[in-house]
Amino acid sequence: MSGKRIRLLMWKEFLQLRRDPLLIRLILLMPVMQLVLFGYVVAADVKNLPTAIVDLDRTSVSRTIGQSFSASDYFKVVAHPASDADLRELIDTGKVAVAVVIEEGTTDRLARGQSAPLGIVVDGSDSSSATAGSGYASQIVASINKQRLTESGMGARLAQAPGLDARVRVLYNPTLASLNTMIPGLVAVILMISLMVVLSQAVVRERESGTLEQMFVTPIQRTEYLIGKVAPYLLLAIAQLMLVAIVGLLWFKVPFHGAPLVALTGVALFMLSAIGLGLLVSLISSTRQQAQQAVLFLMLPFMVLSGFIFPISSMPDAIKPVTYAIPLRYALDVLRGAAVKGAGFADLAVPLLALSGFGIVIFTGAVIATRRKLS
Amino acid sequence: MSTPMVRIGAVAHKEFRHLWRDRRLLAIVLALPIMQLLLFSYAISFDVKDIPTVMIDQDRTSMSRHYVSTYTSSGFFEVVGQTSNVNDVDGIFARGEASVAVVVPAGFGEDLAAERKPQVAVLVDGSDPNAARIGSAYATALNATYGQQLTAAWANRQGLDPSSAGVIEPRLRTWYNPDRISSIFLIPGLIVAIIAIVAVQQTAVTLVRERDLGTQEQLMVSPLKSWELMVGKLLPWTLLAFLDIVVIVALGRVVFDLPMRGSLSFLALAAALFVFCSLAMGLIISAIAPSIEVANIVGLMLAFLPSFLLSGLAFPLGSVPTVLNWFSYLFPARHMVTISRGVFLKGAGFAELWPQFGWLCVYAVVAIAIAVVVTKKKARS
Repeated sequence: MSGKRIRLLMWKEFLQLRRDPLLIRLILLMPVMQLVLFGYVVAADVKNLPTAIVDLDRTSVSRTIGQSFSASDYFKVVAHPASDADLRELIDTGKVAVAVVIEEGTTDRLARGQSAPLGIVVDGSDSSSATAGSGYASQIVASINKQRLTESGMGARLAQAPGLDARVRVLYNPTLASLNTMIPGLVAVILMISLMVVLSQAVVRERESGTLEQMFVTPIQRTEYLIGKVAPYLLLAIAQLMLVAIVGLLWFKVPFHGAPLVALTGVALFMLSAIGLGLLVSLISSTRQQAQQAVLFLMLPFMVLSGFIFPISSMPDAIKPVTYAIPLRYALDVLRGAAVKGAGFADLAVPLLALSGFGIVIFTGAVIATRRKLS
Repeated sequence: MSTPMVRIGAVAHKEFRHLWRDRRLLAIVLALPIMQLLLFSYAISFDVKDIPTVMIDQDRTSMSRHYVSTYTSSGFFEVVGQTSNVNDVDGIFARGEASVAVVVPAGFGEDLAAERKPQVAVLVDGSDPNAARIGSAYATALNATYGQQLTAAWANRQGLDPSSAGVIEPRLRTWYNPDRISSIFLIPGLIVAIIAIVAVQQTAVTLVRERDLGTQEQLMVSPLKSWELMVGKLLPWTLLAFLDIVVIVALGRVVFDLPMRGSLSFLALAAALFVFCSLAMGLIISAIAPSIEVANIVGLMLAFLPSFLLSGLAFPLGSVPTVLNWFSYLFPARHMVTISRGVFLKGAGFAELWPQFGWLCVYAVVAIAIAVVVTKKKARS
């Protein structure tokens, strides 16, 4: 093992990187783009749903019902179609995602003390808007009913009725801002994507252009080659990591409640897995195109099954066991636990151990495979 | 003398043989859409249910047990543990063992019997905002119902009728996808993402590869005209993109009961336009990128990420900042997702979707024009 040879190889890699200045710029631009896309698109909480109000009753009562919808943040009333048929066209063209239909005779029924149906139509071709819209609409209807009851004169007597004083309290992230969990998770995802994308190309490229054999007629050893090859990209990944952390803390103002050391330990252990997987792909593939497709192929299940975007708890029971095989899952547990919940080493022992297990197995696997393949 | 058709055929044949020889690549390109389909259809659900819940029943009376059992029977909460100390909650949440804790303080049963309002607390772990938002909404609704039942029973005993004030009853109707099955919502959008990956990324990389390996010059000295070379090179990937579409639509229709309410030919026409846009984008990237690595990353940034995140495929774009919303219109994927979903689920056709269709036409023309200009420039230099 010679430090000088490793340094020389690293120098060569850096020179090669410098000859492709566009690549470095892109490697640093990509996390910024991901931050913007995930921070603003995926973490966007559904509100201002374009809404149509079909008022077939046309009384002061029906207007109040309409107003309680337009007054809320969740609905933005954009149309007042005169009939159900006009509504169909608005939803077909996607101009409206939610519609409130106040039937004729609503006021009369309410005055007679009957229950009046209120139609709430949601566009099921957009699942998350549909789920959010119907939930918010039920909340608004419940508050209208409560209001009516208080104004009815029975309010004073009913206030003495027994009931339940339930307090629902959200811990750690009381504003429920999706951003606060999205950004810590994004640190792990960006690290995984860039390490895997870049490292998967590293060895294949030299093999494809035939410089790999030249390399091995030099006195360099396999381990030295590996270290010299990985180190420059590791430094780049750390630069990306710092960029994401700084933008997350300063621009998106994501709070960090825990100990940085816990998060860094998790990141370091997770890097072992990401580097190992990148190298393995690079060794198995015979062309760069193959390597690139293989990385894409691996990345999707990682993103979907890790719970990065879609909560694991709502996955079907048959899928849940598969998520335990995804290292990213544990990295997310550690980073989110440390950032959002302020969890320490003791709380995160299980995911940290899992990450070390994956890291050791995948990384040594990659090292052994490299030595075999290259000799 | 060979005709252009023969020459294009020869290039396409060569390209096919490359692909055929690279079985692994071919397998991945064909398996990718199937894996995506399975992942998105089976693993993703926008519904939240069985939220892991821990019960802290400090009252231990028949009344508190009845109250606690309403959580289990609602189907939204799954009781995973019991404890008696509220201070345990922090540890349980930090280890991620449960994300909701229900605290029933001692005296709950007594208060109820005395017709008072006993307090209960529901603690929700906010570190998963999606689940937390829905979990706290369910908990609020469940407690409201429980409270209303208590009130109604009391009012009955007092001879009052609260319902005489008249109540509004929401009747929810979900159009197009009444059971809100996420696969039905996602598959039409997935088609777009897959075309983007296969057409943009693959064409970009194949063309740069030829240049990288130095075989580009060999092709240039052949009697091939540069447009013939391009068409021949793009042909196999175009066919593969269409093959992927057919596989996904067929699987979606047969396995996932995806409805097809609109006109298939309109969809095919729009998809063809979108494929042309994507191929042109791939060509532009290949002309600009100096190396495969760059082509690869630019492909990820211009095709993969926007087609998943800026197209409305899984995430609604209604609540994103206005600038980003405008920005999303720069990518043809957004229009294609609207068309695909409109045709499959809403039975919409040209009458409803002409603006999106028009935009696709504009993109196709502009993108192909730019692609021709930059590749010509590149060929000359």
